[in-house]
Amino acid sequence: MANITKKVSWSSRADESGATGEGTPLLNGSEQPRHSRQDSLRGRPKEIPHNEKLLSLKYESLDYDNIENQLFLEEERRMSHMGFRCLEISRWVVCGLIGFLTGLIACFIDIVVEELAGIKYQVVKENIEKFTEVGGLSISLILWAVFNSAFVMVGAIIVAYFEPIAAGSGIPQIKCYLNGVKIPRVVRLKTLVVKVGGVICSVVGGLAVGKEGPMIHSGAVVAAGVSQGRSTSLKRDFKIFEYFRRDTEKRDFVSAGAAAGVSAAFGAPVGGVLFSLEEGASFWNQMLTWRIFFASMISTFTLNFFLSIYHNKPGDLSNPGLINFGRFETESVAYNLYEIPLFIAMGAIGGLLGALFNVLNYWLTIFRIRYVHRPCLQVMEAMLVAAVTATVSFTMIYFSNDCQPLGPDHTEEYPLQLFCADGEYNSMATAFFNTPERSVRSLFHNQPGTYNPLTLGLFTLTYFFLACWTYGLAVSAGVFIPSLLIGAAWGRLFGILLASITTTGSTWAVPGKYALMGAAAQLGGIVRMTLSLTVIMVEATGNITYGLPIMLVLMTSKIVGDYFVEGLYDIHIKLQSVPFLHWEAPATSHWLTAREVMSSPVTCLNRIEKPAKLCGLILRSQLIVLLKHKVFVELARSRLTHRKLQLKDFRDAYPRFPPIQSIHVSQDERECMMDLMEFMNATPYTVPQETSLPRVFKLFRALGLRHLVVVDDENRVVGLVTRKDLARYHLGKHGLEELQLAQT
Amino acid sequence: MSPYRHSSFWGFIVFNIYVLVSGDGGNLTASEIPPLSSVVLSSAVFKPGLGSVLSLNLLSSFPEDLEISDYCSELLHIFGQRYVAYVNCLVPAARPVKVCQNCFSSYGSLTEIFSNISSDQVGPGNVSCRDSLLRSDRLMLVYELYENLKVLWEKSDCHNCITKGFQNLTSDTLHFMTILNQTLTCFEQYQQKNKTELCTNCKTDYKNLNVLYGGMEKNKTMCIDIEDAMNMTRRLWSKNFNCSFPREETVPVIAVSSFMLFLPIIFYLSSFLHSEQKKRKLIHPNRAKSYSSLMNIQDNRS
Repeated sequence: MANITKKVSWSSRADESGATGEGTPLLNGSEQPRHSRQDSLRGRPKEIPHNEKLLSLKYESLDYDNIENQLFLEEERRMSHMGFRCLEISRWVVCGLIGFLTGLIACFIDIVVEELAGIKYQVVKENIEKFTEVGGLSISLILWAVFNSAFVMVGAIIVAYFEPIAAGSGIPQIKCYLNGVKIPRVVRLKTLVVKVGGVICSVVGGLAVGKEGPMIHSGAVVAAGVSQGRSTSLKRDFKIFEYFRRDTEKRDFVSAGAAAGVSAAFGAPVGGVLFSLEEGASFWNQMLTWRIFFASMISTFTLNFFLSIYHNKPGDLSNPGLINFGRFETESVAYNLYEIPLFIAMGAIGGLLGALFNVLNYWLTIFRIRYVHRPCLQVMEAMLVAAVTATVSFTMIYFSNDCQPLGPDHTEEYPLQLFCADGEYNSMATAFFNTPERSVRSLFHNQPGTYNPLTLGLFTLTYFFLACWTYGLAVSAGVFIPSLLIGAAWGRLFGILLASITTTGSTWAVPGKYALMGAAAQLGGIVRMTLSLTVIMVEATGNITYGLPIMLVLMTSKIVGDYFVEGLYDIHIKLQSVPFLHWEAPATSHWLTAREVMSSPVTCLNRIEKPAKLCGLILRSQLIVLLKHKVFVELARSRLTHRKLQLKDFRDAYPRFPPIQSIHVSQDERECMMDLMEFMNATPYTVPQETSLPRVFKLFRALGLRHLVVVDDENRVVGLVTRKDLARYHLGKHGLEELQLAQT
Repeated sequence: MSPYRHSSFWGFIVFNIYVLVSGDGGNLTASEIPPLSSVVLSSAVFKPGLGSVLSLNLLSSFPEDLEISDYCSELLHIFGQRYVAYVNCLVPAARPVKVCQNCFSSYGSLTEIFSNISSDQVGPGNVSCRDSLLRSDRLMLVYELYENLKVLWEKSDCHNCITKGFQNLTSDTLHFMTILNQTLTCFEQYQQKNKTELCTNCKTDYKNLNVLYGGMEKNKTMCIDIEDAMNMTRRLWSKNFNCSFPREETVPVIAVSSFMLFLPIIFYLSSFLHSEQKKRKLIHPNRAKSYSSLMNIQDNRS
């Protein structure tokens, strides 16, 4: 029998069942007392209020590294050439399916939102019209607020009580997933259902949110579900795509799903691919890019096709995304060389405003985590925000004196007249009394003179605070559209002011153009995405001419914003205490070596010598499967016909491995032996103790590792580096800082 | 060989005359004459121009097969007459817009003659005028002229107000006109007196008109005449007579909204005071027995 080595680091203790139960060692229960004595020696665990400098035990790494054990080699040997071909084909099929389903979901969300919002606005509009005449407009205000709160209440209840992970835009979670962090329950069917329902409720509920961010999450869930060929929640196994039931394959599909989501949301297939590339860039190959592009294309095509049927124009493929920025006409498209400094200045403004947004949202989120953590409080908070949003909008509309004549082509879907002259409408109402997507479009495309500066200024101000207040509520909703809307409003204001202060300005300072630049600047200042955002904006406007200005604007806003604070998604990742590995190790960390980074001592399973030389690596999940199937040496001896465990058995248990408590190991069996030879990965990556942190970091990032064994000169195991060991170092204000581990 | 020579010869003459005529026109527009006298002058200059065209006709004529037939020139003549008649009708109807109700019959006859010209059927003498009149040259004057008016007609949506075959105004339009007249009479009646009285007394008429207009807007059965008349009436009503709704209930709206805005403050305060702050338990990871890292970090800080 071979040397049998097994390690359990504290990182793998973080199952959902909590750490106290998980403290039970895998095999011999005798270690338990020793453990508790240690605890008492250290004193009671310190408790601190939640802050950003924590790493949660809840999160584990995904296993991107292939477990090259004997079973794996055997299976590969058995597989024919044809088998590999089929795998490749089925990958394409899965990508096509992902695109198709993502497009369908986007289409569903769009149609339902449009219908429900249509009903809501129609009812409120009729009510307002009625009460403008006879008096009693405060009743309309209450009606509007109640409508909003009711929708948002439904959305918040399903999120807060059934699936809290579906809150927010989902982009931070997908970013973490692609980074290699296993976020519990992030890609489950239930999450998808709650996400879709939640986003419909929150958009119809009139919150300052968009439905684009959640689309990306939805795409990712679809991808993770379709590629597995089964649904654990529905207890259905279709017995297909079994080969893809591991983290490596799943991650590839999830990145395809995220791309398909972006593509459906913005009608930007290339932008989707680049989004996946930007967020999951450490694991990438060319074939995958091509497949992901395929998924994106299919997704935008599907959305397009079904929306054309919905709009009674089957075959007219002109609705590529959920948000349609509309086409910029040729004469307003032109920009001059002298406008570029202006665009850059707008980028700087966007960066500043974005940083302000992020800082405010950061404090708010901390407050929410500390004090508003009970589901009922979260639901109440969301309802309050919805009611206040309606109130503020109503007050703004009520006191606005900006009346504009109705256009011939009725770009305004729900024109409100209120106190305007007949044949005119309240211009503030087009911005507030509308779904945010429509408001963005009207800011981009309405003729100069549609909005007066005061309206725009007030709108920017109120919407900025509303959006900032809304993001982070327990509703599923994205931040893309609100940022675009804020940016478009102040950008248009900028354009109008420019036209009025310069003599020739009225000819070249087209407000729509500046609205677009403002939108890009604001969005860039908040989310700080670069490459993918540029391409998304270019694709969504369908205008390649604006490529350079948009790029410059986004660059400036990122530089300016990064000077103050990180991007919104990074802030939220930090606040969730996720061990996220950035692109590079922190700058001044070369003096740290693996010895200091690693966790030690490592629990080693061995029979022959101690301390053991490294023979291989075995995962907790594998051990659990082994225990479940009772693969004991003694049993195998007694029963000669014992069925050999196959890789399939591991795949069937994936991804929800049972917790150790649910495995029953009888007293007799505790004395048994287990031969791990076949199951362990005999050639894990190792580093010597003196390796510097950046080198270890690079290995982790590039190879997508989960564990890295630290060995001494004689190949004896001295420690184990995991994701959390690396992620705890970060560059703060006072040089290198260390994050603390906490239970959340 | 010879036909080619012929044509080039004719071309030369025509070119000469063209230069002459256009030179005249150029002089006229270039010189800055006060508008009043220009009318006189232009008519004076126009005559020699006409004369030169006539003289061209007299001077030379195309061979039989290139010439347009009498039938076609007759059609062209009628087209000209009707065209002039329609334009004459349109211009005075420009403001306030009455282009549909006043001129639909002349437009009808214009389309009729144009469809005659453009039809496939051959007239007497076995000739079709479509090719010779509409598309034998680059300018395509007849076609362009007609097309311009057609665009105007379509833009004004007149077809919504006129029955098929340009017979009459539709009953909807007539109905609208009656109600409109009713409203306007009412306006006139009270205009001299008190404005507030006007607002109360004409309200029903005006409201009926609005409802009718709203219905027509929804059915898309309006033309520019109706739109314009409605716009003018609305402007009279809201701007001249000031009958829009006043902003009266500021106090209740402010009261309700400040109550709403007050709620979140209470909510956050109460959750800050009463909700238990979420604490995180710190975990001490197992590390190698070396405190160098910690010390290093502390060194860095200080």
